Amino acid sequence: MSVTSKKGLDYWLPKLVLSPTVAIAIIFIYGFIIWTSVISLTDSTILPRYDFVGFEQYVKLFQNPRWLSSLWNLVVFGTLFIGVCMVVGLVLAILLDQQIRAEGALRTVYLYPMALSFIVTGTVWKWLLNPTVGIERFIHNLGWESFQFDWIVNPDMAIYTVVIAGVWQSSGFVMAIFLAGLRGIDTSIIKAAQLDGASLFSVYSRIIIPSMRPVFFSAFIMLAHLAIKSFDLIVALTGGGPGNATDVPAIFMYQFSFQRGRLGIGAASAVIMLMTILAILIPYLYSELRKPKDA
Amino acid sequence: MAELNIKNVNKSFGTTDVLKGINLDIQDGEFIILVGPSGCGKSTLLNCIAGLEDVTSGDIMIGDDNVTYAAPKDRDIAMVFQSYALYPNMNVRKNIAFGLEIRKMPKDEIAAEVERVAKLLQIENLLDRKPSQLSGGQRQRVAMGRALARRPKTYLFDEPLSNLDAKLRVEMRTEMKKLHQRLGTTIVYVTHDQIEAMTLADRIAVMKDGIVQQFGTPQQVYDDPANIFVAGFMGSPSMNFLECSVVKTADGFGVQIESQGKTFELAADPAQADLSAYEGKNVVLGIRPEQITHVMPHVESQPFVTRVPVKIEVTEPTGADTLVLTHINGQECECRVHPTEAGNPGEQMDLLFNMSKAVFFDAQTENRI
Amino acid sequence: MRDTSKRYQPVTGRAILYGVLMIVAAYYLLPLILMILTSVRSMEDIRMGQLIAWPESFSLEAWRQAWSEVQIGARSETGLKPYFINSIKIVIPAVAISTILGALNGYVLSFFKFRGSDFFFAALLLGCFVPFQAILLPQSQLLGWLNLGGTIPGLVLTHVAYGVSFTTLFFRNYYVNLPHELVKAAKLDGAGFWTIFFRIILPISTPILVVTVIWQFTQIWNDFLFGVVFSDPSSQPVTVGLNNMVNSTTGETRYNVDMAGAIIAALPTIIVYVVAGKYFVRGLTAGSVKG
Repeated sequence: MSVTSKKGLDYWLPKLVLSPTVAIAIIFIYGFIIWTSVISLTDSTILPRYDFVGFEQYVKLFQNPRWLSSLWNLVVFGTLFIGVCMVVGLVLAILLDQQIRAEGALRTVYLYPMALSFIVTGTVWKWLLNPTVGIERFIHNLGWESFQFDWIVNPDMAIYTVVIAGVWQSSGFVMAIFLAGLRGIDTSIIKAAQLDGASLFSVYSRIIIPSMRPVFFSAFIMLAHLAIKSFDLIVALTGGGPGNATDVPAIFMYQFSFQRGRLGIGAASAVIMLMTILAILIPYLYSELRKPKDA
Repeated sequence: MAELNIKNVNKSFGTTDVLKGINLDIQDGEFIILVGPSGCGKSTLLNCIAGLEDVTSGDIMIGDDNVTYAAPKDRDIAMVFQSYALYPNMNVRKNIAFGLEIRKMPKDEIAAEVERVAKLLQIENLLDRKPSQLSGGQRQRVAMGRALARRPKTYLFDEPLSNLDAKLRVEMRTEMKKLHQRLGTTIVYVTHDQIEAMTLADRIAVMKDGIVQQFGTPQQVYDDPANIFVAGFMGSPSMNFLECSVVKTADGFGVQIESQGKTFELAADPAQADLSAYEGKNVVLGIRPEQITHVMPHVESQPFVTRVPVKIEVTEPTGADTLVLTHINGQECECRVHPTEAGNPGEQMDLLFNMSKAVFFDAQTENRI
Repeated sequence: MRDTSKRYQPVTGRAILYGVLMIVAAYYLLPLILMILTSVRSMEDIRMGQLIAWPESFSLEAWRQAWSEVQIGARSETGLKPYFINSIKIVIPAVAISTILGALNGYVLSFFKFRGSDFFFAALLLGCFVPFQAILLPQSQLLGWLNLGGTIPGLVLTHVAYGVSFTTLFFRNYYVNLPHELVKAAKLDGAGFWTIFFRIILPISTPILVVTVIWQFTQIWNDFLFGVVFSDPSSQPVTVGLNNMVNSTTGETRYNVDMAGAIIAALPTIIVYVVAGKYFVRGLTAGSVKG
């Protein structure tokens, strides 16, 4: 038998099978990220042009008050969205972990919004939050005439309506992650703690929750990722308004790139979004990869 | 013919050398056991023989064919895995038939072969079950059946019994031996269990750190270990290793030991080792627990037997014998005595050190003197 | 005294616990219930009645309107129906192709590792995280060059390209936990690459296959960004159709039609969730806990 017999089709086949995906990764992921970065260094407007202007687009971007307010909105929305989702998700998970009779049914109810499109969620909440037809009118009709809940048309408050709808959609998902984390904990630890005389509260606060740190971490990553990418929900709920009150980077990028024909600045904003996600992600991946690998 | 010759095989993963210059000449029909602690490279060597891993250098010959670069399917080898690796989606019949189907054997021949194997292993009643419906022992049989069905020249076993409970393991061990006697084919069998190695093998290759430390019959490996590692690995309870100095005795050389502040000279059997070069230096005395016994007149009268009083520290009854733990030269020493002769912990007891089977190792190189 | 308080205290505790859980359940369920109720009410009923009220009359008129009659933008075809059909035409090939690719990739990356394959897997995972804004511009350029701009094949290509990271992750993480001896045994039995895949590995991949198909189906069906950027009116998916419908109707907003439309757009994923919720949740958690 010859030395080359093994380097036949069996040798190349796995590589051949993988090659379409290698091409996808090189072109659609890495190539396009580089391409976007390159465009962000040019003075492209409606069409990409390759006249390089250095970091001028970034300078313009950060002098643009709309961009700055969209960043601030993202900070407000992101912090509240992540914070509230985590708290609601954790509390629900702990409550559901108390040997609840209808756990399966309740879990299904809490989680179903995650199956919906953000567009559907936005459409529904836009209607519920509309003061003239939704909740405000409902309370008025009940007899509380002075009740006011007009956040969606109030530029100072509109961003919080995005948080309400976002939490409605995503908190069940955080609950599911936390519940899986709680179920993954070795029950003998809990029994040992109870034998030591720890109360249920201190079992959770001192043993279970600290041991779920990785779960918190991955929930945080997922939520941060959702927040930075959030586009559909805001488009459907407020359309970025009233005015630019609920503008976020994703909407800014879309409008400048595809509606205003300012590709350069749109690309620059996309690069900033990517950098933000990487800044959150890389420490996470780094800590993940440092763990011993499974076989 | 299915001689299996492994010539100077090296295997590295990246910068780690897993196999370092392995040479094994295996006769047709031999039952060979590769034994060693986990990470010694025994499973890697088996995978290399199977062709599941490429060797970095060296040659593997089956009969007259150099199969070093042949695909696994072209080596005429069957393998039984520790996890059994039964195809979970197929019933037992399909599992056994799969390899034959791939080799395009006619349907009626396959059916006949499955019947034959099932009968041989007494699994006829399991043929229509899925692996998930089988017990551990049954899965093990099916895995064997899958290997047997192809009638290969060589069988490879990768710790096939280690997932079974103790009782079943002993039963299967016996069956495995019978099977080998009936089939007469070459078997290479990996285990970390030295009892399995002793009971099953025609020859044992003891491995450590990617090197074959010793390759010989079970008795050779047990009585004539090549170094401290082999001596310590084979046998349970393990051989005692006592560092002691070599002294000149009346008619040769011996070693000095100390028990409870008194020193004793144990004369060495010149047939076991020539200690002349080590006079005044320290060597490691290797003596198995069964060579240190309670006082029996017919033993005491033999040459190279010395009576030494010791202090009993711990006793471990095993039923047939009682193991007595004491300290010699400040080192732990286990001795095997008759249960009725064993004293209680803290008591004094006389023991006979029979040096006729004792071995000596160089204290630095740990090799046999 | 102490005895009774000890006996009753846990019971009231349980009651509060169940009460809280029910109230939270109501918070999640109410919007859906209101959507359904509103969609079968008449506009008059909605104008005059309460937000939360049993319908005066029951009518599927709003559903019919949303499905086939409402004028969306300047299209000649009316209703959400053509958008819904577009979504189906996008989802089926995109899910099928990305799932098949993912299964094959996972198979290779788990059982046929070669130098650099682990690195490639790690590199591919960036595709799970990259904000799509960072690739929108070049992707629209590329689709333009390929003459696929604004077409359904263009959207399919886009969804495959950005879905394959997830499908590969799912399959690879499932396959690395299978015993590697299975493939070794099959190799020794003489089976080749494809035989092992189709006769051993694929038949035991059903759970992860379901998870992946559901995940991809939900992601692509619910997509809005690609749908709004890379389509023209003839290829827009149902999410874009719904958004246009809700935002473009002139005159009085017909909430019953809007809600009927929202339910129509959500129905396929809700059905999947109800039928295979277990697998849906497994996909979500698998997608969140990266390997």
